[in-house]
Amino acid sequence: MNTELLTAELQDFIQKHDLYGCIQCGRCTGGCPVTVRTNLNVRRFVYNSLDQSMRDDLAKLPEIWDCTACNTCAVRCPKGLKPVEVLMGLRNILVVEQGTVQTTVRDALESVFLEGNPWSKPRKTRSDWMEGLDVKIAEPGEKVENLIFVCCTVAYDPRVQVLAKNLADLLNKAGVDYGFIGESEACCASEVHHLGEEDLFLEMVESNTELLNEYVADRIVTISPHCFSSFKNQYPAVKAKVIHYTQLIAELLEAKKLIFNKEYPHKIVFHDPCFLGKQNGIYAEPRTILGHIPGAEVVEFERRRERSLCCEGGGGKMWVESESKKERLAETRARDAGALGASILAVACPFCVLTLDDAIKAKGLEEQLRVAELLEIIGALVD
Amino acid sequence: MNIFVCVKRVPDTSEAIVKVDSSGRGVDSSKFSFDINESDNYAVEEAMLIKEAKGGNVRVVCAGTQDADVMIRMALAKGGNSAIRIDDPRINVIDPLQVAKVLAAAIKGKEFDLVLTGCMANDDGNMAVGVALAEELGVPHAAMVKKVEVETGMVKVYRELEGGLSEVVEMELPAVITIQTGINEPRYAPIRGIREAQKKELAVVKLEDLGLAPEAVGEGASLITLENFYIPKVESKAEILEGEPDQKAVTLAEKLVKGGLL
Repeated sequence: MNTELLTAELQDFIQKHDLYGCIQCGRCTGGCPVTVRTNLNVRRFVYNSLDQSMRDDLAKLPEIWDCTACNTCAVRCPKGLKPVEVLMGLRNILVVEQGTVQTTVRDALESVFLEGNPWSKPRKTRSDWMEGLDVKIAEPGEKVENLIFVCCTVAYDPRVQVLAKNLADLLNKAGVDYGFIGESEACCASEVHHLGEEDLFLEMVESNTELLNEYVADRIVTISPHCFSSFKNQYPAVKAKVIHYTQLIAELLEAKKLIFNKEYPHKIVFHDPCFLGKQNGIYAEPRTILGHIPGAEVVEFERRRERSLCCEGGGGKMWVESESKKERLAETRARDAGALGASILAVACPFCVLTLDDAIKAKGLEEQLRVAELLEIIGALVD
Repeated sequence: MNIFVCVKRVPDTSEAIVKVDSSGRGVDSSKFSFDINESDNYAVEEAMLIKEAKGGNVRVVCAGTQDADVMIRMALAKGGNSAIRIDDPRINVIDPLQVAKVLAAAIKGKEFDLVLTGCMANDDGNMAVGVALAEELGVPHAAMVKKVEVETGMVKVYRELEGGLSEVVEMELPAVITIQTGINEPRYAPIRGIREAQKKELAVVKLEDLGLAPEAVGEGASLITLENFYIPKVESKAEILEGEPDQKAVTLAEKLVKGGLL
């Protein structure tokens, strides 16, 4: 290829994503979980991105919005490329920059810009879930061991607010030094990045970094794996170490600072959230927590850990409906959990809760199976 | 085409808990989020579509405080050329006729073919500013418009009427059109565009800059007086009228007269 014919912008794009490194082996497409229900072909996107005219057509393909950013392609790539990021880059260059995004995406992005969350909720009601509860608030400039980052979905969605409430309660009971940020917390912008609005993402990285660095925290503990992954991998200037709450809880259990003293007599199957597992390699800690639950029988999916099936909640998919009418992956997951005879489909991510809740209803499995976030389960196990 | 588009910053009260504040003459907005008024957002998009098709320029007009600047910048990012914001606490903003006078003063004396407004504000729901603005400017208007076709020297608009009817109106330019939501699909303003829009002119003016006497648009000149806000009591009393339709109408009319409602 004659590189002189490439625009500077395309050369940067090629370099950023190391597109010449791709050997078109097909490991990415072979592992991509959404190919069973959509036309998404990651390999084509990577290959055609090398050509200016072909690349411009790529964004018009509806399947560009089918990627859930589950990271399977990157985990499987023998050359260490991140095909998922090529798709996000294309969304940025060709879709968002032209302003031609779906209305749901537009509203989510505008809401992050104006109110600091993608759910069109007022910034000023972000901490309303705390009302009447014993929740410690961290003070900027004062030392705190664990600075808790709630996540927009957990802060505003009544279905998952219980995660933050239970975490505060457990930390109180375990005598942990912690503090929540409160009203000034704003979206981690992980989904802004995945929706292709890179400039807004970078602006949020800057303002969030400034906010987080105001605290003298040993570590930042996130409730959502999406915030966790974003802070850990995309916020180079954040001073504190970033961990997911499952790591903190596992640590407290192993140190016997937290002891589950109530029975939970259920058959539980754990669904690995992509942003915890495939994106960040956290597989053991959720299982450590499950192993401490008295009376529980824990079973495993055939597709688990690195091979775990995505629930299609990531990659901005909370705001984009796929054109495919085939069974959703979350429905497949619910069906598989039902077939294992599990009564609890355990997850460690608010998005997984929402997608799998819907899937269980869609499959008519409500009588035998329900979704429970680990914090929902363990919140009731400590006196 | 020289187009003016008027925008207002309003609270989103769709899910908020609305409480009357301690003065009794306002609403506690401490927990609200704010955005551009919904139908104004469609008016902005329509202005950009006309500009893209016919050329010309779009100027954004807003009567409001500095808090509205972010919404104005978003409109500029979508293709607006410049903006003017009238920031003056002496304007009696609860009176649509006074607001119309202020907006008209910002537009008068400048060349314009079209003035677009939203058809209704989400906060007060008066549906009056656009129409009153046309009167102040001395130009024809059409309200609740769902389709706009600009031709030479004139504009053909499709108005949404009660019962799902559509009225087609032709007007000579210049004219005022109040835009109904759903006429188009408002675009997204990328953050890069909003940043670039910082370079565009946003003039902030007072009443005197527009040649308006404060007393002409203040509370004293208004026919509207805001006495107090209250949340209507929830009552479960209902009376079902019996009889033939004619009989029911008579009974209803009697009840309304008796209750002092007519």
